Amino acid sequence: MGNSISLAGYTFVVEETKEISGEDLGLLQEKLLQLNWGVQHPASGPMRLKVWVDGDEVVKVDPDIGYVLRLLEKLVEYRTWQNAIVNVERACFIDNFGTMTGYSIAAEKIADVELPKKADYVRTILCEGGRIVSHLIGLGSFVGVMGVHTPMQWALIAREKFLDAFEVYSGQRIATASIVPGGVRFEPTGKFIEKMVSAVDFLEKEFIPRYAEVFIDNPTLKIRSQGIGVVPKEKAIELGLAGPALRASGVASDVRKDYPYAAYGELDFKVVTKEEGDAYARYLVIWEELIESAKIIRQAIEGLPEGEWRTKFPIKVPAGEAYVNVEWARGCFGFHLVSDGGTGPYRLKMRAPSFANLWAMPEMMKNVKLADVPVIFASLYMCHGDIDR
Amino acid sequence: MLEEIREKLKSQFELESESYDTNMLLVKCDRNQLRDLMKFLKENGFNYPHTVSVVDYTPKGEGFQANYVLENLNSKKFVMVRVSIPEEDLTVPTVSDIFPPLQPHEREAWEMFGVEFIGNPRLEVMLLPEWAEGWFPLRKSYDFKKHRKPSKEKK
Repeated sequence: MGNSISLAGYTFVVEETKEISGEDLGLLQEKLLQLNWGVQHPASGPMRLKVWVDGDEVVKVDPDIGYVLRLLEKLVEYRTWQNAIVNVERACFIDNFGTMTGYSIAAEKIADVELPKKADYVRTILCEGGRIVSHLIGLGSFVGVMGVHTPMQWALIAREKFLDAFEVYSGQRIATASIVPGGVRFEPTGKFIEKMVSAVDFLEKEFIPRYAEVFIDNPTLKIRSQGIGVVPKEKAIELGLAGPALRASGVASDVRKDYPYAAYGELDFKVVTKEEGDAYARYLVIWEELIESAKIIRQAIEGLPEGEWRTKFPIKVPAGEAYVNVEWARGCFGFHLVSDGGTGPYRLKMRAPSFANLWAMPEMMKNVKLADVPVIFASLYMCHGDIDR
Repeated sequence: MLEEIREKLKSQFELESESYDTNMLLVKCDRNQLRDLMKFLKENGFNYPHTVSVVDYTPKGEGFQANYVLENLNSKKFVMVRVSIPEEDLTVPTVSDIFPPLQPHEREAWEMFGVEFIGNPRLEVMLLPEWAEGWFPLRKSYDFKKHRKPSKEKK
């Protein structure tokens, strides 16, 4: 019960014995001050963090979310099975392929549709492309919150190459609407493969060595992030962390390995885990996954089979339901899809990894220094579109 | 692993379970049993909760349904616990003290569907704006057109 704040009377309990209360939250209390981070500030995106500080020590953090609520789960109910992808991908458009893949697999499970092998491989290539694009931004913004904006620019240069490949494939750079129930929408042409290979080449030969030289194992970066926001293994599970944050605490949980979907079962890759569980470990997990993803794309392109890339998907899907997880860039994304035999989804529940990480964050930010708040925030690698949906 | 849990559920709770997927077990239980069942599952390794997914079946006359998805991170298996909630009495005991990560999920389910999780310490609006409290937009009975703001031209 140490620190609790009842919103009704704005009563702050700092210690068990000492109680301070005031009318206006914005005013300096005897000891405690509430800071508003946002709506625009923390790292990126529209979200407000209420931070109560005692000196420069954080007493309590309360996120105020909902600024980008689009109610996607409701909008999906007004769409057909195929059209629903435009809402699903907008959960977070940075890695839009992962969410579309998860939704499509769930729909295929209910309709009992078998996919051609080529569709699985193209999905894998696209999903890993999306993961790289997302991880690049994650790396850049992590160093960015500490005040160095060069890595973000470097990351964006590498990201452009992948967006070029997506543009050749689907005509769109960001919200591609390219994976549908029943396969993928477009033929993976030679030009797309060529662009993808050249993007991976650039990433592996130019970006990775250059970035590793400066921003990995960087002493200043280590001072700021090592030992910050430490979450031991048991605590990570108890808090319900997801994705890279969970793996950085030593839990080898990766849906791609645990329940292989698309073509991941046939490809060779390793699950990146770290034992330290601090902000720096989470940063390194993202970094090493980036390198793994490039390898996966190369393997998938090499093993790309011949044949059809899309199969027929029925207009009316029999009644049923499915719960499917995919390893999205920011963690395990769950889809609970229900069909009542109609032409569109009856209900779709999206379990977002960023939502889980966000609500684990207040616990992690107890008694840290104020300057560590953005570091922990960025290391959790959250997307606001995904939190609000 | 799942067979073991299935046997135990039958002997301890007299609950029938069916397989939902290759790696997932579906258990339907009563509201009164929910907390005991969740405690039992947590002790048996299903300690990583995914979400609370509420489905509105009122147009079909079946009330609401709450699905709790739990994962066992060691054996990589899932259990889905399903509770039916009649329309007249939309209450479920909370499990947020057993699984703290489910607290915001219950809060979201409350603001979207109006299912009251008794004992949840924080049932306040989270994603919706304050003035939209009580609209329950994910219910099937929610009418988009009724709440649409008129556009400027039509004023």
